[in-house]
Amino acid sequence: MHVNGVLIEDTFAEAFPMRAARIVITAVNERWAREAALKLTGFATSVIACKCEAAIERTVSPSETPDGRPGISALLFAMDAESLGKRLVERIGQTVLTCPTANCFDGLPAEERRLTPGRALRVFGDGFQASKVVGGDRFWRIPVMDGECLIQESFGAAKGIGGGNFLILGADAASTLAAAEAAVEAMSKLAGVILPFPGGVVRSGSKVGSRRYSTVPASTNDAYCPTLRPMTESALPDDVNSVLEIVLDGLDDVSISRAMRAGITAACRPGIRAVSAGNFGGKLGPHHFRLRDVMADAVERRGSP
Amino acid sequence: MSEHVTLTLRSPLEESVSLESVVPDRFATSNEIEIARLPVWAGRSQRAIGDYFDVRGERSAIVRIGGDVRHAHGIGAGMTSGAIEVLGSIGNDTGVGMAGGAIHVRGDAGHRIGAGLPGASRGMIGGEIVVDGSVGDDAGTRMRRGLMFVGGNTGNSPARDIIAGTVLVMGRVGGEPALGSKRGTLVAAGEIDVPVTYRHACRYRPPHVRLALTYLMRRFGTSVDARVVTGTYDRYCGDAGTVSRGEILRWSHE
Repeated sequence: MHVNGVLIEDTFAEAFPMRAARIVITAVNERWAREAALKLTGFATSVIACKCEAAIERTVSPSETPDGRPGISALLFAMDAESLGKRLVERIGQTVLTCPTANCFDGLPAEERRLTPGRALRVFGDGFQASKVVGGDRFWRIPVMDGECLIQESFGAAKGIGGGNFLILGADAASTLAAAEAAVEAMSKLAGVILPFPGGVVRSGSKVGSRRYSTVPASTNDAYCPTLRPMTESALPDDVNSVLEIVLDGLDDVSISRAMRAGITAACRPGIRAVSAGNFGGKLGPHHFRLRDVMADAVERRGSP
Repeated sequence: MSEHVTLTLRSPLEESVSLESVVPDRFATSNEIEIARLPVWAGRSQRAIGDYFDVRGERSAIVRIGGDVRHAHGIGAGMTSGAIEVLGSIGNDTGVGMAGGAIHVRGDAGHRIGAGLPGASRGMIGGEIVVDGSVGDDAGTRMRRGLMFVGGNTGNSPARDIIAGTVLVMGRVGGEPALGSKRGTLVAAGEIDVPVTYRHACRYRPPHVRLALTYLMRRFGTSVDARVVTGTYDRYCGDAGTVSRGEILRWSHE
């Protein structure tokens, strides 16, 4: 299969189950909502070392937010609900509670599984906190030095999917980076997914474990490192000199497939030789996104082979 | 099962009637005939809903009441779920002791709305009451939890002995507001004489007021001046005669 002349390899992205929360942060204006959201989602690229994966999902208009103020929604993923709850307490407490004018609301109200970071964070109020029930949901009013911070008591914990990915194999670093940027731009317009790495792009793709160091949980994906082509069992075609990976987490497989399709379509541009995906032979997770299945819809619409 | 049950008053009420049987919880499990047979007290006489109202619909927890029911009292007393929409004005004791659900009165309401049943230590303990017009005396007395919105004015002693919960008043607040409040909130967008047993804390933008008003506008279509939603409020803490965790929030017109 080719898209815009770029080979779509016959392989699959292997993803795994995670638990996800959607945090809607509002503030006096978008700038301050974004400030809180950027901190909330900071240093959250991979569960391997960050305990969670998080990123801004989208800007939320005042007509969509519970308090009618400008907002930002972020998605936060962890390996299980317990860990997700801890991360929410840590991150909301250190980034939203601290941010001038910011409030924090649940973005997954329909989820039955509930976590209660608001209940945990209320004690910062040292007994001066108060709660209000509005529309059946409880909100904690925590007194702070600019007034009050409002934090919803409970947040939905959805069954999410982590580790969706694809690899952009380019002839040179510049065209590969440009393709990755185009992919990120296309994918960032879609709700339900996040790209947790810097600018949505990963250069240090990894494999599970290490060939040399037994205590290392993940190490460089040497098969896709162009500098190691003659030294290892390389997976790279001869004319590929740069590889970048797009990693995405999503609330469901439909969201991930849709985002992968948008990203791969955007990445298939001059200078790109192939698009591949990272997997571990099916041993890592139950969610397999076959690139050619993901792209089938796009190819059909384009009438390409 | 119908989308909703509609009670339409056949002719103006010439006497006070007690409509405590009009609670969505009961309507949700009753057919049209059973609803029409539910008891109504007119003085010492027991009558039936069907004696006064045309009943349309069955087995629904959404109830619409049409006609001038200013002489009908106790509607929604003790309700725990569902919704009542009153297209006109309503009498006394609406939603007393309610624990859940919502009451929306398009006109005015009488005394003791959202207060407690006779002899009860607590008023409403949950749910939402929205009155587009004005309310009588003792609105929300001993309210324990819940949300009450008054688009117009209140009579005397609103939110008296309120334990918790929130009362929002867009018009003039009657005398002796929120006396004996423990942890409740009284929001006043109009005139209010704050009791001397409340102490001024600060002027700020209370986020929960904006949240509540935004919710009410979206859910009930209530009309609220945008400046009241986004504006600043003077916060007064009281009542000094209690644990003093209550508050009166007076809109500063800014």
